[in-house]
Amino acid sequence: MNRFQWVTQNPAVSIAFTVLAYSLAIALHRRWRIVPPILVACVPIVAALLWLHEPYAEYNRGGSYLTWMLGPATVALGVPMHRHGMALRRSLPRLALVVLAGSIIGMVTAGLTAWLLGAPLAVVVSTVPKSVTTPIAIEVCRELHGIPQITIAMVILAGVLGASFGPPLLRLAGVRDDRAIGAAMGTAAHGIGTASLVRHSEMQASVSAWAMAAAGIFTSLLAALLALFLR
Amino acid sequence: MLDYARGFGILVGFHLLGMLLHRLGVPIPGGVLGLMAFYLAMTAGLIKLKWVERAAGLLLRHMVLLFVPLTVGLMEMGAVLSRQALAIAASLLVSLAAVLLTTGLLGRWLLPAEPLLAAAPPSESVEVSQ
Repeated sequence: MNRFQWVTQNPAVSIAFTVLAYSLAIALHRRWRIVPPILVACVPIVAALLWLHEPYAEYNRGGSYLTWMLGPATVALGVPMHRHGMALRRSLPRLALVVLAGSIIGMVTAGLTAWLLGAPLAVVVSTVPKSVTTPIAIEVCRELHGIPQITIAMVILAGVLGASFGPPLLRLAGVRDDRAIGAAMGTAAHGIGTASLVRHSEMQASVSAWAMAAAGIFTSLLAALLALFLR
Repeated sequence: MLDYARGFGILVGFHLLGMLLHRLGVPIPGGVLGLMAFYLAMTAGLIKLKWVERAAGLLLRHMVLLFVPLTVGLMEMGAVLSRQALAIAASLLVSLAAVLLTTGLLGRWLLPAEPLLAAAPPSESVEVSQ
C-alpha cells in the first residue's frame, strides 16, 4: 500500500518506465560501449521498486507483456537465419557442424561442472541451456524441470561476459577469422554477443546471427533427447 | 505501419502454431517449433522476406528491451542463486570459455577462407540499439 499505487497498478506504466530505462541504457551504451545495456536498464527499475516498496509481481503485470513478445522474437530469428543462410549457403553444412559441436560442448561442460561441484539435479539441468538465447533457454529449462531463474541469470551473464571477454579470449587463442569469431560468439553468447559484433564487422554479425538461431534449435533438440534419458 | 502489422501478424501466427504443436506433444519449445516452421516456410518461398523484414528487424533490434522484466526478476532470486552460487558461477565460466574456444578453433579449421558473405544484403535485422 502506498500513495503511488494508482500509478504503479497500471501495467502501461511499468511498460513505459521499462522502455524509458532501456532508452537511457542505450544512450549510455552509445557513449561508453563497455556499459552493458541489459544491466543498466535494470538499475532505475530495481531502484524504483525498492524505493516505492513495490513487489516485483506488481511491476511484472506490465513487464510480462514485454516478456511475452520474446516468443514472436524467437520466430523472428528466422529472418537473419534465412537471409544470412542464403549468403552462407556453400559453407552452411560445415557451419552447422561447428555450431552443433559448440552446443554439445556447452551443454555437457555446464552440466558436468555443476554436477561435480555437488549441485542438486534441478540446478544441474538449469545450467544446461545457458548458452542459448533467453526465450529458448527458458523453455528448454522448463522441459528439463529446472529452475528458470537460474537459467535466466546464467544466460544473461553468458551474454554480457561473452560480449566483453569473448573477442579478446578468441584473439588470445589465435582465432582471427571473421566467420570463426562470429560462430563462436553466436553459439556462446547468443543475442547479446551478436549485438556486440554489429559495430565491428558485418560478416562476424551475420555468422553470429545464424549461429545463435542454429544453436537454439540444436540445444532444444539435444535437450529433448536428454529429457528422454533423464526420465 | 501496415507493413509492421502484417509482419507481426505472421510472426505471432507462427509462434502460436509452434505452441499448438508443443501442446500436442512435440517435446521441443513452442518458440523453436515456430522458428523452424517459419524458416522452412521462408526457404520454400511461402513467406516473402519483405513481408516480415521490418517487424522482425524491430523485434530483434530491441530484443534487449524484452529481457529487461525477467532480468529485474532476479532481484527476488537472491536466495536461490546465492545457495548454489559457486556451482553456478563455475559452470558458467567453464562452459562459456569451452564453447567460445571449441567453436572458434573448430570454425577456424573447418570454415573455408574465401569471402562467402560477399553477397549478403545489408543486415538491418541484426543491428541493435537502432
